Amino acid sequence: MMVNPNAPMTQIINAIIRFDQATVTVYGKTILSGISFTLGKGEKAVLCGKSGSGKSTVLKTVLGLQSLSAGAVYFHEQRLDAATIQTIRNHTAYIGQEPVLGADTVREALLLPFRFKAHRDAKPTDAQIKAVLAQLCLSADLLSQESSRVSGGEKQRIALARGLLLGKNLYLLDEITSALDAESKQAVFDVFANPGLTVLSVSHDPEWIARCDKVLELDEGCLLQEMPHDSA
Amino acid sequence: MTPLDIAPPQLAVLYGLCLLPWLLLHLIGLRLSRDIVVSILRMSVQLALVGFYLKALFGLNEPWLNGLWIGVMLVVADLSILQRAGLKIRYFMLSTFAAIALGTLFSTFYLVILVIQPTHYYDARYIVPLAGMILGNCLQSNVIALERFYSGLRKNEQEYTTFLLLGATRWEAVQPYYRAAIKAALGPTIAGMSTMGLVSLPGMMTGQILGGSEPWLAVKYQIAIMICIFASTTLACIVNLKLSLRHAFNAFDVLKDEVMDTR
Repeated sequence: MMVNPNAPMTQIINAIIRFDQATVTVYGKTILSGISFTLGKGEKAVLCGKSGSGKSTVLKTVLGLQSLSAGAVYFHEQRLDAATIQTIRNHTAYIGQEPVLGADTVREALLLPFRFKAHRDAKPTDAQIKAVLAQLCLSADLLSQESSRVSGGEKQRIALARGLLLGKNLYLLDEITSALDAESKQAVFDVFANPGLTVLSVSHDPEWIARCDKVLELDEGCLLQEMPHDSA
Repeated sequence: MTPLDIAPPQLAVLYGLCLLPWLLLHLIGLRLSRDIVVSILRMSVQLALVGFYLKALFGLNEPWLNGLWIGVMLVVADLSILQRAGLKIRYFMLSTFAAIALGTLFSTFYLVILVIQPTHYYDARYIVPLAGMILGNCLQSNVIALERFYSGLRKNEQEYTTFLLLGATRWEAVQPYYRAAIKAALGPTIAGMSTMGLVSLPGMMTGQILGGSEPWLAVKYQIAIMICIFASTTLACIVNLKLSLRHAFNAFDVLKDEVMDTR
C-alpha cells in the first residue's frame, strides 16, 4: 500500500477517497484545478455547482475515465494508477443519469457483471435479485422486460440494484434522483441510509443534498468550499 | 493449348468498352470522368509494371528477391489497410504488418510446401501470385475488421465503459465489438465460397482455363486458394485486432482519441 507521507494522519485512517491537488486539463482547458478533499468511510458527499463546473469530471476521475494532468487521487490510500484501477472499479458502483444496461432484458442486465471473471463466483440467486428489486420499489415482473422499454428512473434503479447485488461499498452517483417519483426516491434514500455505504454524488436536488454529510461546492473547476450540510 | 494473344488493336477495342459505362454514368448525371480515367490509367500502368517485374522475377527466381517482393507487397498492403480503415499509421503499422504477414505467409507456405509441392518451395511462379491473391483478400478483410471494431467501440463507448465499470477487463469489455468485427470481415469470404461456381466463375479459375489448363486442374487450384484465403483472413483479422488493442487504449483502458484518423 502506498501512503502519501504529507497527508494528515487523521484523514488517512478512514479515507476511502482522497483528492490531492487533482488537476484535469483537456485540450489545454482546465476542467479541475488542484482540488483536494477527503471522503471517509460511510460518508455521504455531494458535489454542487453550475453546469460545466467539473462535478461529473470528479466522478470520472475516480474511475480512471479522465486522466489527471497533475496531483493524485487515492482509494484507501492506494494511488489511482494502471495497477490499482481494476481494484477501484471492482469496489465502486457508478450510476449516471441515463445508465446503459448493456443487455437485452432486465434479468440479463442484472446478471451481466457476473459473466465477467471478477464476479463469476458471486452470481446471486433469484431470491436475492427479487429482494433487491423490492428494496428499490421495482416489480419482479420487470425481470423479463426488454431493457430498451424501461424508463429512465427504472434504469437508474436497475443500475443501483446491480451495484447492491455486487456488494459494492462506494457509490458514485450522478443525479440519481432526477428521474424518480417520491416513492422511488424514498426507497433510494433508505438504501443509502446504510452507514456502511460511502457516497460521492452530483445533485441539484435539495432533498438529496439535505441527507448528505458533506457539500463540496465547485466553480469553474475549483473547490470553493467544503462544508457539512448543516451549514450549507 | 496455347492461349490466344490480345494484339494492340484488340486491346484498343477493349478500352473502347469503357465508353459505355462512362456514357451511362454521364446520362444519369454522375460526373465521374476524372475518377474513371485516373483509375483506368493507374490500373493499366500498375499492371504493365507488374508484368515487367514478374517476368524478371520468374527469370531470376532468387529466394531473396521473391521474399523482397512479398515484403514490399506486405508493406503496401499494411499502409493501405490503415489508410482505408481510418486509423493512424504510427499506432498500428507494426501490429497490422505482423498480422497480415503471419496470415499470408502461413497459408502460402502451407499451400506450396504441403499441397502443391514444387521442386523449390520458393519458386516465384507459385509463391508470388499465390501470396498476392491471399494478401489481396487479407487486405479487404482487415480493412473491414479494423474499421468495424474501432467505429463500433467509438459508437458504443458508453456501453464499453459500463462493462469496464462492472468489473470487465479490457479484453472482456471489447468482446461484443470484437466478435461483430470479425463476423463482418469474414462475411464476404464465407458468402463467396458458398456461391462460388453458381453465381460466377472465379477469376483465378477463369484465368487458368484461358491459359490452357484443364478445367479439373483449375477447379482444384481454385478450391486450394479459397481455403487458403479463408484461413489467412481469419488468422490475420483475429491477430490484428488482438495486437491493435495494445496501442489503442490508455493505461486505464480508455480508447485513445488520437488513434483515429479524422482527416
